[in-house]
Amino acid sequence: MIGASAIFRRGSVMGSFEYRQAEEIRNSFAGHGVRYLFLGKSGAILLGFPDTTQDADVFPEKNVGNCRAVAAALQELGFALAPAEVAEIERGKDFIQLKNGPFDLDLIFAPDGIERFADAWERRVEIEGFPVCHPDDIIASKAATNRQKDRESLPRLRSFRDWWMQQKR
Amino acid sequence: MSGDQSGGEVGIPCEWREEFEAAARRPLALRMRYAFIKTYKPVLDDARFRAWDSTAEYRDWCERNLPPWLGYGQL
Repeated sequence: MIGASAIFRRGSVMGSFEYRQAEEIRNSFAGHGVRYLFLGKSGAILLGFPDTTQDADVFPEKNVGNCRAVAAALQELGFALAPAEVAEIERGKDFIQLKNGPFDLDLIFAPDGIERFADAWERRVEIEGFPVCHPDDIIASKAATNRQKDRESLPRLRSFRDWWMQQKR
Repeated sequence: MSGDQSGGEVGIPCEWREEFEAAARRPLALRMRYAFIKTYKPVLDDARFRAWDSTAEYRDWCERNLPPWLGYGQL
């Protein structure tokens, strides 16, 4: 097991996601050769978006080898996965919600609004070694969900994208 | 947002621009400490593991099972 994952409580009383845990994901996924991107508001926060969220969203590439690597990495991180749950991750079910580990994590193998992982990977942004979806992909994904909570955050997220692009010039 | 509130460049409201700039001055670890909060979400937090064959099925499940005030429902 990596780092101090085991000290974090599981279930609804667990603490919030921390930088150290993001590092653990990064290091474990790298060790297992996982191809993935941070997505959603957690991805935007890594890019510098000042807002709040509750859990981390990860967009792994959907292929047999990568899905197996994700399952192995999650077990190393301290996620208590039953054999049937490992099998579902290895199958690459499109949306998997994990609350059986040191932090809450959503695995989104087929996010709304993003056609292909390879395209998002080409557009990715690296922040301190964290691979993150480009703000345009984060916005496209949130816009496509058509949910109340996403609609409320989109205007500010679009402004952040504009500001972020200005900083890149 | 009206044009009067923007910083004059691509219509970013001044208040938001100041927040973006302030966030950029903080190290990532501190930004994350401010950003990630944990509160109990009924139903959603009551299972250790859930998996859906498609994202559409997940959205449908949220629509049918979660309290509307959580904001996961479709518009």
